[in-house]
Amino acid sequence: MADFKIKKGFDIKVQGCPEPVIEEMGSPAKFRVHPSEFEGIKPRLKVAAGDTVKRGDVLFENKKNEKMLFRSPCGGTVAAVNLGARRAPVEIVIEPAAQEESVTFSKYTRDSVGQLSRQQVVDHLLNAGLWPLIKQRPFSKIADPSAEPKALFINACNSAPFQANFSLILKGDEEAFQTGINALAKLTEGKVHLCKSAGSDVPEFGSATSHTFSGSHPSGNTSVHINRISPILPHDTVYTVTAQDVILIGKLLLTGELPRTKVVALGGPGVKASARKHYRVALGADLQPLFEQALEEGKELRIVAGNLLWGDVVGADSGLRFYGSEYCVLEEDRSRHLLGWTMPGLLQYSTHPVNLSSLLGRSKLWNLGTNLHGSHRAMVVTGWMDKHQPLNIMTDYLVRACLAHDTDEMIQLGILETDPEDFALAAFVDPHKTDVCGIVKQGLLEIEEEGI
Amino acid sequence: MKFLFDFMDKKIAPLFEKGGKFERMYPLFEAGDAFTRTTAEVTGSAPHVRDSIDQKRLMVFVIYALFPALFFGIWNAGHLFNASNGVEGATFLTDILRGSAMVLPIVMVSYIVGGVWEVLFAIVRKHEINEGFLVTGMLFPLVLPPTIPLWQVAVGISFGVVIGKEIFGGVGYNVLNPALTGRAFLFFAYPAQISGDKVWIGSAHTALDNSILGTVAENIDGVTQATPLAVASAAEKGSSAAHALSDAGFSLWNMTVGTIPGCIGSTSAIAIVLGLVFLLVTGIIAWRVVASGVLGVVAIGLLFNFLPLENAFAHLPFYYHLVMGGFLFGIVFMATDPVSCSATNTGKWIYGFMIGALTVLIRVANPAYPEGTMLAILFMNVMAPLIDYFVVQAHIKKRTAYARALNNA
Repeated sequence: MADFKIKKGFDIKVQGCPEPVIEEMGSPAKFRVHPSEFEGIKPRLKVAAGDTVKRGDVLFENKKNEKMLFRSPCGGTVAAVNLGARRAPVEIVIEPAAQEESVTFSKYTRDSVGQLSRQQVVDHLLNAGLWPLIKQRPFSKIADPSAEPKALFINACNSAPFQANFSLILKGDEEAFQTGINALAKLTEGKVHLCKSAGSDVPEFGSATSHTFSGSHPSGNTSVHINRISPILPHDTVYTVTAQDVILIGKLLLTGELPRTKVVALGGPGVKASARKHYRVALGADLQPLFEQALEEGKELRIVAGNLLWGDVVGADSGLRFYGSEYCVLEEDRSRHLLGWTMPGLLQYSTHPVNLSSLLGRSKLWNLGTNLHGSHRAMVVTGWMDKHQPLNIMTDYLVRACLAHDTDEMIQLGILETDPEDFALAAFVDPHKTDVCGIVKQGLLEIEEEGI
Repeated sequence: MKFLFDFMDKKIAPLFEKGGKFERMYPLFEAGDAFTRTTAEVTGSAPHVRDSIDQKRLMVFVIYALFPALFFGIWNAGHLFNASNGVEGATFLTDILRGSAMVLPIVMVSYIVGGVWEVLFAIVRKHEINEGFLVTGMLFPLVLPPTIPLWQVAVGISFGVVIGKEIFGGVGYNVLNPALTGRAFLFFAYPAQISGDKVWIGSAHTALDNSILGTVAENIDGVTQATPLAVASAAEKGSSAAHALSDAGFSLWNMTVGTIPGCIGSTSAIAIVLGLVFLLVTGIIAWRVVASGVLGVVAIGLLFNFLPLENAFAHLPFYYHLVMGGFLFGIVFMATDPVSCSATNTGKWIYGFMIGALTVLIRVANPAYPEGTMLAILFMNVMAPLIDYFVVQAHIKKRTAYARALNNA
């Protein structure tokens, strides 16, 4: 139990904060599962268009580890399997049947979970298709089931703009959350760390050590928690799970069925003011109806599965993603401004004193769009990227090491405990518009290939 | 306006884009297009929003910071010319006009010749035209004497841009400050026109002709006036350099204001400090470099003051070094170049301090070069990566120790 104050960091002032209320969405008319969402696996399809599936039937498995299964969120008919580049499946569309049949799994109680062995928990989660919810550092990928993690981190923080409010999500599901923690505690010889935002009313839970983190973003990022509590040395592994996913795991164990719903926050300047709130959505549900009613009309919008700092761009017709608890909608801002290099800089959001908005627009909430606000230039190592970086990693040099493919220096500078999301603020403030997150991601892939 | 912009976007832009008639000239189009209006480009991947800061704005603001030094330099060149040549009826206005006639051609040659190289390399090497060149093109003339022949300006900026920067790959990849590289080249290649007693004030005969025709040999009648540094280093052993300076008409006051002979932009400490304040307020400058540079001058200046040396220059009170010669201009505008300066915060302190220290050391201990700033900065440019290397290694040790300690706790 400890309280950590994170001094470095920055909160972007943006409009569109979701209200802390949950609207129940009805059962969807379609489900969409996206195999392409899972990085680092090779899917082998187990269904074809026209097949009838039960809720919980295997849709595809991982060719690299055939025990890792991915199951159907609903019972019905497979309407289509859409392939992408190199015939990799990107989307499986399922139309639910009126009468749904479910596959059942073993049922446990909160306490009987504690009697299981590590292997039993691993096998159960792999088999039920929820293992991919557990990720690992280094490399920030789906956890290797055979690793021996020295600790497990549960992230219940929300420091990035518009992240779902976990204390809201938790209400009524405390039992499932505790069951999930009990199961996850079996995965590590070390401790389970439950990291909460300072001031949140999430209580203490058994089997886990609670910590609170205060400060601006990225105080809620898992890497910051790891760095402050149990930093990663080469050859260490830790598992990481987000808090809502622990509830999903708990529900699977308690009910013996796949969990049905999760809560997502919908925010951002591109969402109608009345629609900026939390929604309880069926897993895998087609989100098109939600977006149709919630999004501003007549604008070119970008839907991000995640927040405005970190997340993937998704189409308006995609299904609820397996990962993440928030969606953010921004306007594609292609506006051009006269003589931007010398104007007072009042009209565009900035944190640099060279623009007056950094001073005069401080207390205002901005309607931020996706404009790059400048052109790409060669990167200059100035230390500027470190401005909001609480991880002790010399961001500029780490990025440079990645560009130089110098895996030794990357590891020495601490890339192993990071995820590309930790570099979002560095990319945000960079005047050279360097693709910092992409460069770090590439660096991590190189280390993974070459070995530590 | 809208009509013009639509015309640009629909009719002109396609000519320069891929497949267009002037595809090869795209960097030139991009530079002009982004100069008139910010780009319409949106973020490709996360983070989806970006700060509205870019290199263009940063570099242009550095040029704004150079304006006080430039304007003062123009007036000072004209004023010294008119005063020394006994021009009758000289007013503030005629000083400015005379100064403009001397200085503006130098600035224009620097921009035009340097710009041609930058654009040429951008087109051949297919990289963007970097705004860093705008700063180089302004810095370079400001560290030249006002009587420098224009062909030398062209040669110097060419050397600075091509050898100092472009052969490494352009802005961001260079080791040395390009403007100073160009100046160092001129200093060693054509010392007669950039150092000595005759180059600081134009004579009636040479003021215009000299610049245009390069008839340097005729400069016999030129007005001779030494710079404070030359006076101080010429002071005899055992005498007082401060007295020698005041005998030559140099006081702390006029060296601070800048009404003395010297390079165009570097004589007035007040104008430079105005620029410094602007850069500090806008958060562009690496203030650690400036602070530690001043510290370095003070520390080594004081050290020399107390050492029992016969050298008169060594006993010159340390604060003289801050306002004499090109130190202040160098530490504020040259040493802080983000590409060639040290990148780590600790490194910046060491780097700046060493520039200040070396400046005084070269001035006092080396009779061959009265001005030490240029060589001090170039030397420390070369050393900066080494300093950073050790700082990064120390950081790695510290973070490993931190991680081990927390893991064993």
